Amino acid sequence: MTLSRILSAGALAFALGTTALTGAASAQDATLDLVGPLAQYKIYVAENTAELVANTRAFVEAIKTGDLEGAKALFAPTRTSYEAVEPIAELFSDLDVAIDARADDYEHAEEDPAFVGFHRIEYGLWVEGTTEGLEDYADKLMADVIDLNNRINALTFPPEVVVGGAAVLMEEVAATKISGEEDRYSHTDLWDFEANFAGSKVIFDLMRPLIEDDDPAFVAQVEANFQAVDDILAQYETADGGYVSYLELTDADRTVLSAKVNSLAEDLATLRARLGLG
Amino acid sequence: MSAPDRKAAAGRPGRLIYGAVAGAAVLAIAAGAAFYLATQQRDGSGQTADLVRVSVSARACDPNEITVPGGRRSFEIVNASDRPIEWEILDGVMVVAERENIAPGFRQTLSAQLAPGDYAITCGLLSNPRGVLHVTESEESRAAAATVGLRHFLGPLSEYKVYLVLQGTAAVDAAADLAQAIAAGDLETARRLWSLAREPYMRLEPMAVRLSDLANAIDPVADYLEGREDDPAFIGFHRIEYGLFAENTTDGLGPVAERLVADMTALKDRLGAFALDPTLLIAIPRDMAAQLAQGRIATGENHYARTDLADIAANLDGIRKVAGLLRSVVAPVDPELEAEIADRLDAVDARLAELGGDDGFPSYESVDDAARSALAEAFGRLAETLDRLHSVIGVS
Repeated sequence: MTLSRILSAGALAFALGTTALTGAASAQDATLDLVGPLAQYKIYVAENTAELVANTRAFVEAIKTGDLEGAKALFAPTRTSYEAVEPIAELFSDLDVAIDARADDYEHAEEDPAFVGFHRIEYGLWVEGTTEGLEDYADKLMADVIDLNNRINALTFPPEVVVGGAAVLMEEVAATKISGEEDRYSHTDLWDFEANFAGSKVIFDLMRPLIEDDDPAFVAQVEANFQAVDDILAQYETADGGYVSYLELTDADRTVLSAKVNSLAEDLATLRARLGLG
Repeated sequence: MSAPDRKAAAGRPGRLIYGAVAGAAVLAIAAGAAFYLATQQRDGSGQTADLVRVSVSARACDPNEITVPGGRRSFEIVNASDRPIEWEILDGVMVVAERENIAPGFRQTLSAQLAPGDYAITCGLLSNPRGVLHVTESEESRAAAATVGLRHFLGPLSEYKVYLVLQGTAAVDAAADLAQAIAAGDLETARRLWSLAREPYMRLEPMAVRLSDLANAIDPVADYLEGREDDPAFIGFHRIEYGLFAENTTDGLGPVAERLVADMTALKDRLGAFALDPTLLIAIPRDMAAQLAQGRIATGENHYARTDLADIAANLDGIRKVAGLLRSVVAPVDPELEAEIADRLDAVDARLAELGGDDGFPSYESVDDAARSALAEAFGRLAETLDRLHSVIGVS
């Protein structure tokens, strides 16, 4: 397992290097045809942040009533609507830190007082095995997702951030998620992955009509890679629509996932130039 | 791989990650060596002369304060700490450019288009102090700021489309609520819901008036119809208003309300599909402000309910939405004009606020000619200022 992780991480460094050097297949000027897809994407994000607020409310309620099993069951499904909008997380970097930072980002890791958000709560629920002491983190998470939802509604999305976001998130999955480090206490990473891929694919799907005539082979390749990822994730779905522990993922599937993510990151990185937003 | 191994690994994710990172570093060093050679070669030709080198230690960036001229700038980030890091340039909370997962001992480059101003740079751990990036005025940045293209309108146009869809949906829902109260014969509720249903439509009006067939079905005023209130073309909001506030009954309004819901649904759909462009976006708030200034405020439109001030406030919301989007386009090109638009909007706000009380707006009958003139003048000055946008940011 360790070896495959090393290989995937190595492949990533290579992919990032080449991505930067590979130009777009066909550059063109930005057109008004982008307005409709950009508007639809904003609505997609707003729907997700509204859902995040509603689901976080239930999650917080479970924590504050001391319902450990209930809170654990709600952790992964509550996160999905946040993970779905991660392509544009660079528009709210402060809240991304408050909501979703990991222990490694802090000097004292899990013991650091600045470590808050979903993963601090995850640590409490799975490692400390209790809801006690999580009330303040829960309240802060609630306030932060409400702030996020309000900000999203008031924000004009820069087109290049939206179009570039599909690749940015795939790069992040390749760099800091495929290792299983994100949800390291609960191993619910597959839930996140599904939402990350869906959130990245929605951008591609919205832009597809603007690029498929120029380069049908490119579109087919990206589609095939998304499909391959879907097929792998589907094998790990549970009967109730959730996912099994990330520890169940076989080395072979992890290797394929890693390769597909790197291909997607590289291909989607050409979207901006293809749409005149380079 | 055996289960116990897996469990042991799960208990120490940090170690595994560092193992992976160390492995990556080994490969990265190989890749980095090739890259370094390439860099050196390019150095020889002088192409990387303006590369700004930043070294990130366990505690801070070195240098921690950087000044560069505006324009497209390149940075080389060296990770001199023992953890993987990301490096970001932040404009407030927004990431302008970033490199993630730079392994210890490894370096990456990034380029970013930077407008003049002060930015924060992150330096490894979140708890480390941030550095400062000063970007100064330059020929390059002045040229970039003065160029307005279609691209600058894509964000504002899509944001306005979202606004039209959201307000359109609210207008349909509110009209349906009104129709329900009318069908139930509930006069008091219908009167209250009539006022509420006007608001989202008035926010849409700057754009809705462009779709004249629907505007004439949704919002015709009896003054412009030959047979006035008895004219068969007198339908929509004001026909319902006439029934609820002048005839004091819901009788006979059912079909009118149902037609209003159907027309509002058609309006929402057409606005959602409408091909907006920069010229139209610039014209919309100016035309609405001018229309208010040149007649509507003097005469009013809601002859039976006298709720004109609430209408005007909602119209102003609609104007402000578009004007706000245009301000972001004009700000880098002509900051004085941007500030003037803000002042003119505030002046209209102040006039409206003077007319409102603690319980909302009073009947329009109580607003005398002098007050109406002052409000109209404020809208007129706003329209004049908005009219200058075309020559400053208009694109063909």
